[in-house]
Amino acid sequence: MSGILDVLRRPDFFELLRQHVLLSVAALLIGIAIALPVALVVRNTALGAALAVNVGNIGRAVPSLAILALCQPFLGFGFDTALVALTALAIPPILINASTGLREVSTDVIDAARGMGHSGGQVLTLIQLPIAAPVVFAGIRTSAVQVVASATLATFIGGGGLGELIVEGTQLNDTSILLAGSFSVAVLAIITEVGFGALEKVFTPKGLKIAQKRGR
Amino acid sequence: MSSLALLLQDLSSIEDPRLVEWDWISENFWEDIVPAIQGHIYLSFVSVAIALAISLPTGVLVSRYRKAYPPVTFVTGLLYSIPSLALFGILISIPGITIGPTPVIIALVAYSLLILIRNTVAGLDAVPAETIDAARGMGLTSSQILFKVELPLALPVIVAGIRIATVTIIGIATIGAYIAGGGLGKMIFDGINRGFPTMIITGAVLATALAIVADLLLLALERYLRPWARRRRT
Amino acid sequence: MIEFRGVSKTYQGSDSPVVNDLSFEIPEGEICVLVGPSGCGKTTTMRMVNRLIEPTEGEILIGGEANTAMSGTQLRRRIGYAIQQIGLFPHRTIAENIATVPSLLGWEKQRTAERVDELLELVGLSSDDYRDRYPAELSGGQQQRVGVARAMAADPPIMLMDEPFGAVDPITRERLQDEFLGIQQNIKKTIVFVTHDIDEAIKMGDKIAILKQGGFLAQYDTPENILSNPDSEFVASFVGNDRILKRLSLLRVGDMDLDPVNGGAEGLPRINERLTVRDALSELIGSGSTTGVVEKDGKKRLLTMEAIEELSRAGNASRE
Repeated sequence: MSGILDVLRRPDFFELLRQHVLLSVAALLIGIAIALPVALVVRNTALGAALAVNVGNIGRAVPSLAILALCQPFLGFGFDTALVALTALAIPPILINASTGLREVSTDVIDAARGMGHSGGQVLTLIQLPIAAPVVFAGIRTSAVQVVASATLATFIGGGGLGELIVEGTQLNDTSILLAGSFSVAVLAIITEVGFGALEKVFTPKGLKIAQKRGR
Repeated sequence: MSSLALLLQDLSSIEDPRLVEWDWISENFWEDIVPAIQGHIYLSFVSVAIALAISLPTGVLVSRYRKAYPPVTFVTGLLYSIPSLALFGILISIPGITIGPTPVIIALVAYSLLILIRNTVAGLDAVPAETIDAARGMGLTSSQILFKVELPLALPVIVAGIRIATVTIIGIATIGAYIAGGGLGKMIFDGINRGFPTMIITGAVLATALAIVADLLLLALERYLRPWARRRRT
Repeated sequence: MIEFRGVSKTYQGSDSPVVNDLSFEIPEGEICVLVGPSGCGKTTTMRMVNRLIEPTEGEILIGGEANTAMSGTQLRRRIGYAIQQIGLFPHRTIAENIATVPSLLGWEKQRTAERVDELLELVGLSSDDYRDRYPAELSGGQQQRVGVARAMAADPPIMLMDEPFGAVDPITRERLQDEFLGIQQNIKKTIVFVTHDIDEAIKMGDKIAILKQGGFLAQYDTPENILSNPDSEFVASFVGNDRILKRLSLLRVGDMDLDPVNGGAEGLPRINERLTVRDALSELIGSGSTTGVVEKDGKKRLLTMEAIEELSRAGNASRE
């Protein structure tokens, strides 16, 4: 136990943590920046939305190590390569949830909104997005957890991060280092899960929470 | 960003013979590649089977005794949150567990419990109360109702969970190669260590293909079991 | 007030129009009901008024001006819109829902808040209880009332209502219909009302436009005229075999021209003057007597089956 704490007090621990968080946050933000606009564009066509969801589903099936590894021969080792791979991993859950969330806003509600004189843009910003927000945010949350977990693997392509401790511990056969790396990654992932879970509640409009509770 | 320039530069070098050496692939196909595929399928299959053997009974129990559901969800959810490499690390630190397929299978089973139990419960919940009532009224015993009515009706949702679990397991099994678990991940890691892109690409592409094929097959099974969902809602 | 001139709608890729050369005029302050079997184009016609659907031929004039004179969005903010499924915004409170068009038009908060309270009272919902609730907390009937209130919020001169009382049980529906007619007595809006139910059309409409499949106008007239003089086989059968009786339900006993009693009225059944003539006929039949006594303005009058028969044969029954 004390051995683990020693590792955590190492000067490079904070640097590895910083890299891990930076990688995750950047990948998530860029992933949102790519996936959300696409979902917005396809929101009104059944074909486009189905396409987006199918692409997303295939993307979700791809093993994370495979994507990270495939980037290496083309982009080399390093932080940037890992970022590209992690962004690719971040996109599918957001794309799937945003596309279906927007499509699932009741057509009657949209018809009422149009019929009452909302412009196209107003229907999107005042009606569709707020109602779809919980589903979209659930997708962002799934993506965040997945990115934080996969960033552990960034070490294999020179991306840094807390995974390096796990690798170091395995190679040196040093349990303290190994466990320090494992626990810190696990804690980081759990904090992400819980944190985004709380944020999701914040982003759910009150009226929708009530509707959910009553099964409407 | 520098990597964008690099990306464009490297994309133009896809024709570069160094990247995919087809000779190596044909030479080592039966010696290395096929066993790796087999090992991977074996690892995944065994893990899914064990996970199902645990989660189905648990799911049935938990759907009956709902008080147990939150703690079960909490524990399996906690396990699911732990990134794979970290869980591997923790497992091999336990005295008695050495590197090899064992900790990998333990981890893979642990990961899939959450989704399998959750979907089992959800599937059983979705069985209409009137249907169970009618069955009881016709004189079926509790276990007959479970096996002849509830589980068959819950099957589509359960299979949906199996699909997600299988794809997840195939993906994480690749990482298991790091602790000598075997499978296609070994090719990926060896390729990175030796600087041999062919191995990396072969391993990664095959692992991806395996995952996607499993996904599509199970999706077809899911759709087959749920004919009423085949008609799209207009 | 609203005029259809040769309006047709054919969807792309289809050979037959869904609305075919409609021409008629809806006077200001009246309820015009569009009624017909499914596929007759009644909802499409209604939605062309506020340009949710654009006609392929012809034009629609509102107050003498083509409804294309301004943008669709601007137009819709001046026309009330209530649909069968209501479509309340689930993420907004009842007050916010009702305030939708006023806030789109930029009303001041104070004015909007007062209007919301006023409308809630008007549709029979206590403002204190309901303004801060969410749609998911309301019953179907309550939601439907909010839907109507929302359509009326900006006090538009014209309203479009597509089976607005459709999503509730018959008892609630009748109540909502009566309440709405009561409101309309005071506000006199020009209303286009769509329904598939001929009885609702007769009850609600000042004018009825019966549409046939394929979007043809079969007849456009007052309820009495349609019931007494149906233009075609189609209209006669759509209106129902009991159309003569239906006509009698348009009039109350108290509005009839009745002879005073000439003594010897004991033992005759009493008929309430507020009953419709149809219901009065039903009571007479049930009582086994061909004559009944009606008390109106303190005077007793005679109601005979003969008088009712004459009435049903006359061409002009005056509206209650």
